[in-house]
Amino acid sequence: MLEPKIQFENVTKSFTHLSKDETIVDSLSFDIFADEFVCVLGPSGSGKSTILGLIAGFIKPNSGKILFNSKIINRPDSSRTLVFQDYALFPWLNILDNVTFGLTTKSKSKNEIKEIALEYLNLVGLSAYKNHSISQLSGGMKQRVAIARALAVDPEVLLLDEPFGALDQQTRENMQIELLRLWSKTKKTVLFVTHSVDEALKLADRILVIGGKPGKLLFDTTVSVSRPRDFNNSQIVNVRNKILDKLAHPDFFMGSDI
Amino acid sequence: MKVVLIRIVFFFVLFLIWYLVVAVGKLPSYILPSPFEVFNSFYYGFCKGGYLIAIFSSLIRVLIGYFLALGVGVLTGIMLARYYLLDITFGKTILALQSIPSVAWVPLALLWFGITDNAVIFIIILEAVLPVALSTKNAMKNIPQNFIRAAQTLGSKGLHLYKNVIIKAMIPELVTGLRLSWAFAWRALIAGELFISGAGIGQTLELGRSLADMAQVIAMITTIGVIGFLTENIFFGTIERKVRFIWGLEGQK
Repeated sequence: MLEPKIQFENVTKSFTHLSKDETIVDSLSFDIFADEFVCVLGPSGSGKSTILGLIAGFIKPNSGKILFNSKIINRPDSSRTLVFQDYALFPWLNILDNVTFGLTTKSKSKNEIKEIALEYLNLVGLSAYKNHSISQLSGGMKQRVAIARALAVDPEVLLLDEPFGALDQQTRENMQIELLRLWSKTKKTVLFVTHSVDEALKLADRILVIGGKPGKLLFDTTVSVSRPRDFNNSQIVNVRNKILDKLAHPDFFMGSDI
Repeated sequence: MKVVLIRIVFFFVLFLIWYLVVAVGKLPSYILPSPFEVFNSFYYGFCKGGYLIAIFSSLIRVLIGYFLALGVGVLTGIMLARYYLLDITFGKTILALQSIPSVAWVPLALLWFGITDNAVIFIIILEAVLPVALSTKNAMKNIPQNFIRAAQTLGSKGLHLYKNVIIKAMIPELVTGLRLSWAFAWRALIAGELFISGAGIGQTLELGRSLADMAQVIAMITTIGVIGFLTENIFFGTIERKVRFIWGLEGQK
């Protein structure tokens, strides 16, 4: 039996807000396997980003366990890199230096670092812009730099927190195609948070639907249709209807069934 | 180009009015000298070196006070950001201290240090330390969380994180503090120098008063304005705008 890459065991996380404890996600349990492209789908406020924060190691659960390669996650690490919706690129560095940033924490020579960074900039099609400043780029280009930066440290898991949420429709569609291309080239385990059902259906091998308050796992389904996906395909239509149904009645359904 | 031309015309008209007021009003030169007398004062002041020495001495004084204030201010700011108890006590006191004009510290400084350079440097530090401390505190507290998280997720921590992200993220706010602090230091310098002996812009200004040499008084006031404008607006202003543009905080002007 294949060892899961990431395991959530009965994870609950709450935050103190105005001196009241508010549970964000409640008793979450699921496994994620290597090389899977998983979309975490749910409405705003269902705790999707919290799940990524937990995996990235920014925050710790109040109860339950989160394992990465069977070890408890204690702190952020470049084996699990996160891509932010607002890019979080460092404006005081140019494009190339943003991509090299993570590599400078490793014991690598300057030439090696530059070579790797250029390779990833090339991969996202921006090597011509290596000396540009961040403010000279469009939103879509910024996010491509951010993805290159996250991939350059060669993580095992790539976490994306609504990465295309701030982009216009056309750019968003291009970026989805781009991401799938990168994923098939680099073969990472991908966790992609989105609130768009269609985006999840377009991208994911597997969709985890989170909903309710506090957020619970409502639905866990695999999508085995080959890409690019035809939205008239019967399996897609079927999964889509089920997801919409679960999201419409979050309180009546719990756990996973297909 | 058009703007420059308009400015030249503006100053020409200003000087013309000034000249006419003096000529028509037959004002004595200890009340209002003509522009030419002030130019003369500048000419001899610079040729004989008196004004140059005054400016040089003042700049040394203000730079010593300013850099000492930066050191103390940055440390104070870091402490205020880190220790809540200090912030709610001393942090609030700073706001009250900031409302005290520098000249109010002069009697205290003179009694403590006599009519010496130290008295002036003391006043400069008192004035200049506050904006730096406040901006350091704010800069530390307002570092965007996502910068730190992005760095951490890429494997940065400890010294690497401090050097490459935390300090860099603080820079725009710090630069604003540095500029404000310089403006305060410059005003404190002149206020203090009016009361001490030795060479300096403030002393030269005060000397002009005691000799009823209004041309010298106006020449020194102009000098204070020009140096203040060049340093505050041109030097610090340019740096501040550049930094804010690079950090994506505003569009380039």
